[in-house]
Amino acid sequence: MPTRTTSPRFLALTVLTAALFVIACNAIADAPREITMGLVQKIFYFHVPCAWLLMLSTLVCAGGSVAYLFGGSERGDRVAVSASELGVVFGLCVLVSGPLWAKAAWGVYWQWEARLTSSLLLWLMLVAYVLARRYGGASARRLAAALALFAAIDIPLVYFSVRFFRSIHPSNTVVSTLGPGMRGAFWLSLLAFTALWWVLFSARLATENTYARLVDLEILLDQAEEKKS
Amino acid sequence: MKMVALAYGFIWLAVFGYVFIVSRRLGRLNGEMDELRRRIDRLKT
Repeated sequence: MPTRTTSPRFLALTVLTAALFVIACNAIADAPREITMGLVQKIFYFHVPCAWLLMLSTLVCAGGSVAYLFGGSERGDRVAVSASELGVVFGLCVLVSGPLWAKAAWGVYWQWEARLTSSLLLWLMLVAYVLARRYGGASARRLAAALALFAAIDIPLVYFSVRFFRSIHPSNTVVSTLGPGMRGAFWLSLLAFTALWWVLFSARLATENTYARLVDLEILLDQAEEKKS
Repeated sequence: MKMVALAYGFIWLAVFGYVFIVSRRLGRLNGEMDELRRRIDRLKT
């Protein structure tokens, strides 16, 4: 049974993603050093794309959950599960790379300010979703889907927190202030990470789809074996 | 330099760790698929 992870399209996308990362890493290495922060500013090129993927994963998880909750879509549920795990992975990357930058910029790893706290909250909600799906059994599916919607509400709070609250976190307009060499490296990195997200999401969704087909086939087989005996 | 290496290293570790977990799941699914094929073959004979 061929899955999407063995399809030529998937393999082509994987190769393209690897090529994008090679180009992006070269661009990051060649990008000029920021005057005040120096080398540590280069964390930004990986940190911001991870933050974008945390939000994208949450949105896709919430979209799938809406389809499952209100339309009974099993595929929507599988999409939500796949995206939630990616949200946890990239959220963890944000929450580790951010404090490493903060230690150099602010002198402390963590500040309980709006952007950091709302991001941590978003990540914890995704962790709760994944744990509920893994250990909660079938009855936890609807509860987890509702949790995903709740997590999606946190996204505007994360994004606009630097505007609405007094925050020491760099503002959302920081990208437009980058120099030409830095801006190209940033967009290439964002593109490479988004392609990586798509590769991982396709692979994860393929395992969910295969598992769902396997369960259906096992039920059919059980019935056929019963009939035969 | 140390902070940049730590940040980039951690992100790659997390991504490859996740790829490893997903590939293990796929391996387990393939195993279950083989078992299903064996059951179908037994049913046919």
